[in-house]
Amino acid sequence: MITVFIEPDNETLTFERHNTVLMLQRKLNLRVNDALVIRGDKLLTPDCQLKDGDEIRIRKVMSTG
Amino acid sequence: MKCRKCKAPAEVPLPSHNTAFCRDCFAAYFTGQVEKSIRRHGLINPGERVLVALSGGKDSLGLMLELSRMGFDVTGLHVDLGIPVSSLAARAKVEGFCTLHGLKLRVVELAKHGLPIPDVKKYINRPVCSACGKIKRHWFNRVALEEGFQVLATGHNLDDEVARLFANTLRWDAGYLSDQGPCLDAENGFARKIKPLYRLTEFETACYAFLNGIEIHTAPCPYSSGASFTGHKELWARLEYTSPGTKIAFYDGFLKRGRPAFAQVEQESGAPVAPCESCGSPTSTGTCGVCRLGIAVAERRAADPDRQ
Ligand code: SF4
Ligand SMILES: [Zn+2]
Ligand SMILES: [Zn+2]
Repeated sequence: MITVFIEPDNETLTFERHNTVLMLQRKLNLRVNDALVIRGDKLLTPDCQLKDGDEIRIRKVMSTG
Repeated sequence: MKCRKCKAPAEVPLPSHNTAFCRDCFAAYFTGQVEKSIRRHGLINPGERVLVALSGGKDSLGLMLELSRMGFDVTGLHVDLGIPVSSLAARAKVEGFCTLHGLKLRVVELAKHGLPIPDVKKYINRPVCSACGKIKRHWFNRVALEEGFQVLATGHNLDDEVARLFANTLRWDAGYLSDQGPCLDAENGFARKIKPLYRLTEFETACYAFLNGIEIHTAPCPYSSGASFTGHKELWARLEYTSPGTKIAFYDGFLKRGRPAFAQVEQESGAPVAPCESCGSPTSTGTCGVCRLGIAVAERRAADPDRQ
């Protein structure tokens, strides 16, 4: 299972099945440059593999005023 | 994905440039883009003092950090709008950032000048954001002028600029189209206004802030009706996704071929500019717009039974 925290919405989602960052972005309807994908202190690119137990932070970049 | 330059694992994918970078090569790329803007448009001359408008967001703080690392003489300016909760939070982020990096900072408190934004909202019958924007611009320019800064820098990024240009184009607003760009020359007592991040996207400035551990203010202003130009930005994100590189091509093309044409037809607008009778800021109306706002707010506040 992976846990995904979405900013700035402050929403937490969990996914049983996980594969790559690209698949997660597709599931969330995000294009590659719509959001930062953060694991720990690193940024992930779309081809990165997600692992069981991962905590991922999605930081959308479009500024909101 | 591997870094295009050094083959280390990449952290920043940039399809618009058909590339991806590791954090070190991204830092070099980011600096390179800012240098290119400064060089190409003569944004900052040697020895000039630069005042950087700091809202507390990723763009302005990133800009401040980058310019200081490049060796420019920068000072931050934060306008404390006096909005409960949100202004305190924004100011704390800006002050923390400047202390951490040993950067100079000025803070203007609108409440001390009789114009806290909640009062403007309450007593002035016009959209609060237009008055607020006017007041912020007034203070950036005024501090620049009074304290001898030649340059005033803001953190506008490529997405901001493209969305604004697109809106101006939809209206064929010749006035704006004649001078939108990364550099507005000093004139009539206004400092030169520059946008050194205009080649970098919102995604890139967000990566820069994250990779440099910059703590940013993200809570939206309570008076915000949502992002300005959100619809246009979404449209452009879709265009950029299907045709990478479209944004910068549109904007650079405008600077090269569009703007000069508009600048030629746009006549000098007539009204002569003189110092404001009250504060000395340049204006074509005797007493400047912000001083008139101040007077109106003071009158209505004095007449407000809730404030007696
Ligand atoms: S959203 Fe808030 S800070 Fe921004 S212009 Fe409007 S009132 Fe001012
Ligand atoms: Zn590299
Ligand atoms: Zn004035």
